[in-house]
Amino acid sequence: MLQRDAYKELEDTIGPENVSEEQALLDGYAWQPSFSSSPKEKLDIWLWRPRPEAVVLPGSTEDVQAILKVCNRYKIKFKAMSTGWGAWNSPGTEGVIQIDLRRMNKILEINEENMYALIEPYVVGAQLQAEAMKKGLTPHIIGAGANTSVLASSTSMGGYGGTGISTSMSGRNVLGVEWVMPNGDILKLGAPGSNAGWFCGDGPGPSLRGIMRGMFGAAGGLGVFTKCAVKLFHWPVPHEVHVEGLLLDTMIKIPENIKFYFCFLPSFERFADAAYKIGEAEIGYMLVKQTIGSTLATMAPHLLRAIAQNQSIKAALNAFEHIFMFMIAANSKRDLEYQEKALKKIISETEGVLITISDMPTTASMALWGSIRSSLTPLAFRYSSSFATTLGSLVAWDNAVLQSKAGSEIKKQFVERGELFEDLVDNPWGGIYEGSTCFGHQEEIAFFDAHDLKTHKGWVEFEKTCVQAAVDTPMGVGISALGKGDIFGPLAGNYHIWQRKVKKAFDKEDLADSTYYITPEEK
Amino acid sequence: MGELKNKLIGIVGSESFFEDSETLEEYTSDYSFVEPKKPMYVVKPESMKEVQQIVKLPNENYVPLIPCSSGVPRFRGDTIPSKDGSVIVDLSRMKKIIRVDRRNKVALIEPGVTFGELQAEAEKHGLKVLMPLCPRATKSVIGSYLEREPIIIPKYHWDMTDPLLCTEVVFGTGDIFRTGSAAGPGTLEEQWESGQAQKNPMGPAQTDLVKIIQGSQGTMGIVTWASVKLELLPKVQKSFFVLSQNFDNLIGFIYRILRLKLGDECFVLNNLNMASILNEESEKIKNLKKELPLWTLAFCIAGYDMLPKERIEYQEKDIKDVAQQFGLEVTPEIPGIIATKLQDLICTKPSKEPYWKLRYKGASQDIFFLTTLDKVPEFIKAMNDEVEKHKYPKEDLGVYIQPIQQGRACHCEFNLTYDPTDSDAVRMVKDLFNSASEKLIDDGGFFSRPYGSWADMAYDKCEDTVTALRKVKEIFDPNKVMNPGKLCF
Amino acid sequence: MELKDYERDMTGCSRCSICKWIPLNQIKSWRFANVCPSISRYNFHAYSGGGRMLMGLSILQGRSELTEVVTDIIYKCTLCGACDVSCKQYRDDIDISETLQAFRIRCVEEGQLIPEHTVMIDNLRREGNVFGKPKTERGRWAEGLDVKDINEEQADVFFHAGCNYSYDEELWPIVRGAVTLLENAGVDVGIAGGEESCCGGRAYEIGYQGELEKYAEDVIGRVKASGANKLVTACSDCYSTFKYYYPKIGKALGVEVLHITEYIDRLIREGKIKPTKSVPMRITYHDPCHLGRRGESYVGEWKGDNKLLRPLKYKRTGKEGVYTPPRNILKSIPGLELVEMERIKEYSWCCGAGGGVKEAYPDFSIWTAMERVEEAKATGAEAIVTACPWCERNFKDAIKESGERVEVYDVIELVLRAI
Repeated sequence: MLQRDAYKELEDTIGPENVSEEQALLDGYAWQPSFSSSPKEKLDIWLWRPRPEAVVLPGSTEDVQAILKVCNRYKIKFKAMSTGWGAWNSPGTEGVIQIDLRRMNKILEINEENMYALIEPYVVGAQLQAEAMKKGLTPHIIGAGANTSVLASSTSMGGYGGTGISTSMSGRNVLGVEWVMPNGDILKLGAPGSNAGWFCGDGPGPSLRGIMRGMFGAAGGLGVFTKCAVKLFHWPVPHEVHVEGLLLDTMIKIPENIKFYFCFLPSFERFADAAYKIGEAEIGYMLVKQTIGSTLATMAPHLLRAIAQNQSIKAALNAFEHIFMFMIAANSKRDLEYQEKALKKIISETEGVLITISDMPTTASMALWGSIRSSLTPLAFRYSSSFATTLGSLVAWDNAVLQSKAGSEIKKQFVERGELFEDLVDNPWGGIYEGSTCFGHQEEIAFFDAHDLKTHKGWVEFEKTCVQAAVDTPMGVGISALGKGDIFGPLAGNYHIWQRKVKKAFDKEDLADSTYYITPEEK
Repeated sequence: MGELKNKLIGIVGSESFFEDSETLEEYTSDYSFVEPKKPMYVVKPESMKEVQQIVKLPNENYVPLIPCSSGVPRFRGDTIPSKDGSVIVDLSRMKKIIRVDRRNKVALIEPGVTFGELQAEAEKHGLKVLMPLCPRATKSVIGSYLEREPIIIPKYHWDMTDPLLCTEVVFGTGDIFRTGSAAGPGTLEEQWESGQAQKNPMGPAQTDLVKIIQGSQGTMGIVTWASVKLELLPKVQKSFFVLSQNFDNLIGFIYRILRLKLGDECFVLNNLNMASILNEESEKIKNLKKELPLWTLAFCIAGYDMLPKERIEYQEKDIKDVAQQFGLEVTPEIPGIIATKLQDLICTKPSKEPYWKLRYKGASQDIFFLTTLDKVPEFIKAMNDEVEKHKYPKEDLGVYIQPIQQGRACHCEFNLTYDPTDSDAVRMVKDLFNSASEKLIDDGGFFSRPYGSWADMAYDKCEDTVTALRKVKEIFDPNKVMNPGKLCF
Repeated sequence: MELKDYERDMTGCSRCSICKWIPLNQIKSWRFANVCPSISRYNFHAYSGGGRMLMGLSILQGRSELTEVVTDIIYKCTLCGACDVSCKQYRDDIDISETLQAFRIRCVEEGQLIPEHTVMIDNLRREGNVFGKPKTERGRWAEGLDVKDINEEQADVFFHAGCNYSYDEELWPIVRGAVTLLENAGVDVGIAGGEESCCGGRAYEIGYQGELEKYAEDVIGRVKASGANKLVTACSDCYSTFKYYYPKIGKALGVEVLHITEYIDRLIREGKIKPTKSVPMRITYHDPCHLGRRGESYVGEWKGDNKLLRPLKYKRTGKEGVYTPPRNILKSIPGLELVEMERIKEYSWCCGAGGGVKEAYPDFSIWTAMERVEEAKATGAEAIVTACPWCERNFKDAIKESGERVEVYDVIELVLRAI
């Protein structure tokens, strides 16, 4: 329990209606069954993170600053979160105040000409996209979904997304940032720090964006981010897209300048070749791997459960494992013609088969709008009630594809032993980023039952095995490294040593919860 | 002193150690107005190991080290010592192009590699280097990218680090580190074996130390190699211009074509700068300048390996449609200049000698900063007001506007050309430089690359950034041996 | 229906927060993206559908206790079901609404009672309605109306007014108009008048499951005695209770149950009601929760431990609610321009009146209604039209308090103007 003086100060600072230490309410923040990879023997320990001491709801940067000053005075740890999906949002230890940024939810500016938006923490991807589309723009929306915080992904987490070929990934989309440091001081990164606008997050001189995050952010371990500017990208549909239905029943009139395809390639190698050629041709709005396994798991889980028992159907389906969804969103008829021609040539050169899904309005509507809005991901819970991913480092595309090959070979054994659910084995998600740059990622999905210790443990072992493979092959520092610097650092230049120094320099009292960042002292 | 000298010679060999006046003079000053100061020694290491040993030395007995990789002429003052007893670590002899990877369009190079050298190698693989505007022949690729010099193809500029990818750096502590996906797991060779290509600049994990090194003017460490993005060498290419007496008329069009990712190279020059790039002789520059409109937007369209002619064809038509919407005419010619001349000069080659900025008057002081394209007219006006106030000849002012970050920001550059042998001119330009810099920064220009006197101006505006940067400096160079006196250190 | 029966639902929560938003595919603006009034107002995660489930899990697992504060959070919720609809786009195995209902039942069983709700139940037991208005005055709404009394003679259609329409004098023209419309269309309709009983739905929603059984038997008996083959009501709450809750507790009505809008839509299509007069107005339609997403028929239970294996037909998604008939009616009225709000149909924003909220948390109830009025105004509509007396009363109260210039109509009122 918090010291009474501290609690009273918090109430006085932001209003008693915005502070709570009611136990059952606090457990709403402690429950974090998703994407947690802390191996424990008992399921309940796994699913419940440590309960916060209290929850506070600041309404402004000044509120956040005041809260942090209270924390500094009383030496109380804190952990900030926005929408809160994923184990990294909750306290990692006892004695932490949860800072819920829900009240800070405004879109402060959409600068159409300079293609950026200035947002607060609780603006979710769908909201920003809906507003940006009114100006013919769109943000990058991460694969987790449009129900997640754009600011949180940009400043504090990863940021992979299905439209990466045209909208990059969150870490590369951050411009100016407002940051409340662990000691309560405010730091603005880049141009806003010099009162020169929000269009740039780097400088003067070295860019402190490099301290804020790398491949991933600090997941709350370096303070609280209260504003950031993020890039917006051109969205070439000038009118509002009228949407009927909710999700799987979505119907839209497919805009004329958008085409949507499934591209089937005969092998991992050809799959990689096709993406390289597409990147070099600088075509495409979206390119993301779409497996039959995940399609069935999300759209027809009952069918997948039936297929899981049938070896010959599985074998037949495995012949179609190298598929990517591809979308063209053209700026003109000529642009569309060029892109279509180039795509057909590429698929032909790589011995693939091209199916134009946008000619099938019912299927296309759901898949297309769901991809643009990034609204499909939570369907992955339908099959087995839980899933997680591993590998997924951002690397040259050949190595990313190698990761999906390795992941699927490892998964086979776990599925055979019943330690993971059958998903037709080759089941990564990801694609290439930044057009011609041709780097990319493939994170391997695994399905397990949230209520079942056996498959939970299966997931843990699967993740460990994949990580070891990534070290041995090698295949980069992937998403499993979040907060595990002491394990992964020695494998990658001892980065943990530098990260630790950063932590000590910027949070010497270790008040920002370090669990998913790095502790000031080695554990 | 003698001990230090012996140690340095022991590391690099006597043929790479210099203390003669002539050599030291080369590093004492440059074209900037930064106060000259002679270094004590110059060393030219040829490997990372040598660099590391050099860096470790002053951590025992304080000796300021100043890394530099480009040859003369230099312009920014960032490699002029601020302290007595400095040692220049000149990396220009580290000239290996370690690897060029066609499939992944990336090169791994050492700091001494120039644009011309890398381009020659890249072309063998059907690739090209992402160039700033006519870099000088002696300009180091890594040096340019570390300084965040803007490239002239905005659509390839996804983040401010581009086109720089991974680096190997020796921090001021003497520790070696590899940034981005180069960090590991695995050696470089093991990574190549598994299909990696040091393509991801982020990380490893939860810091982006390449962002700390970039823009640091050598105050954090010394980069001993870097991977850099290459792009496809066009199979077909065309250039176009939009001419205007009024910069404002070009803004909407530029925003639009960049938003639609049409075209490749794209930048705006005023008549003096355009004339200076197109001609090598001062008199010819003067004459051409008179014929050119005040502003020229230059852009190229390229066709690569995939359907190159079709690409050019459709993009040309689409761009012309956009131009029509803005009431502009796109022309393949500047009056009196053949169509492909500019393309030949800027797309894949460094500047011919003399360096283009020196051609008109012999010297140039550059004032540059970042802003957004819509604000450029305000800054042009402010600069013109300053020019008038100081009675600087308006016709001697060069202007270069480079959209960056795919059109979301803009490098705004004013080139104050002058005769360096004319002491009155030098005095006037110095006053104008300082006065205009202050005005532009007060008006909201973001001086993200604060060289020389800009450092105080820029950091006065962001105390919190200074506090944070000093904490960072404490991590990577606690003994403050790396280029002391620069930035806010 | 016990809380522990829903432990697997609760432990299935992935903490994705989808329950706070309208379906992501349908988000058209920043302003109207939220779907849960409770968390939109109170902000702590516990106020969301998922958050309440986690409180339930916490208590069930002995990690915390059912305190007054927790009870308050539980009841600051209209049980509108929007969280359930949003969650069920993705999840086959979680029934948020049922879990929250079970939580309320547990509150009542453990004596964690909201004082205002205690008053409601006392009123119900004493006077047969939650408002505490005299039972003797129940039939006054129909005074002077020439309509069959089913206590004395049989009729094909039993028209059920509901408690709200029976006692809210300002709304009487609507319920009287409904009966008149039916009669003029040649329908053989009868009412129970002063003998009509409460459906028991509201009592159930605030956690008193015993009342539902009692009133279900009462209503079923009366319907049977009436000889009717249809039970028609103009109250969406009652409609939902008849269609879903009665069969759920094993009480079959044995007749076709229709909302007045369903019936009038049918009669218009049969040519028996002809809206011919122009009603020139720009209006927007508010889908009542109990007519829309909570107005689906009960299709039975699936018995099994793992709802991941439950056949999809048993998943209550809100899709089969009544959305089209009221819209058909409005579109058939000449001169009427119907513009849709952003949050409609099964992802409609609640009016704020249900679940015992209007009685216990009037500020929150009015706030919720005003959010909806703002959304109606944003369409440029002059009026918000709905098909439920609870919605109408709450909108009227909110508008009166705020001074906004937006009219509130029932669908029936506009039909009456058009004939």
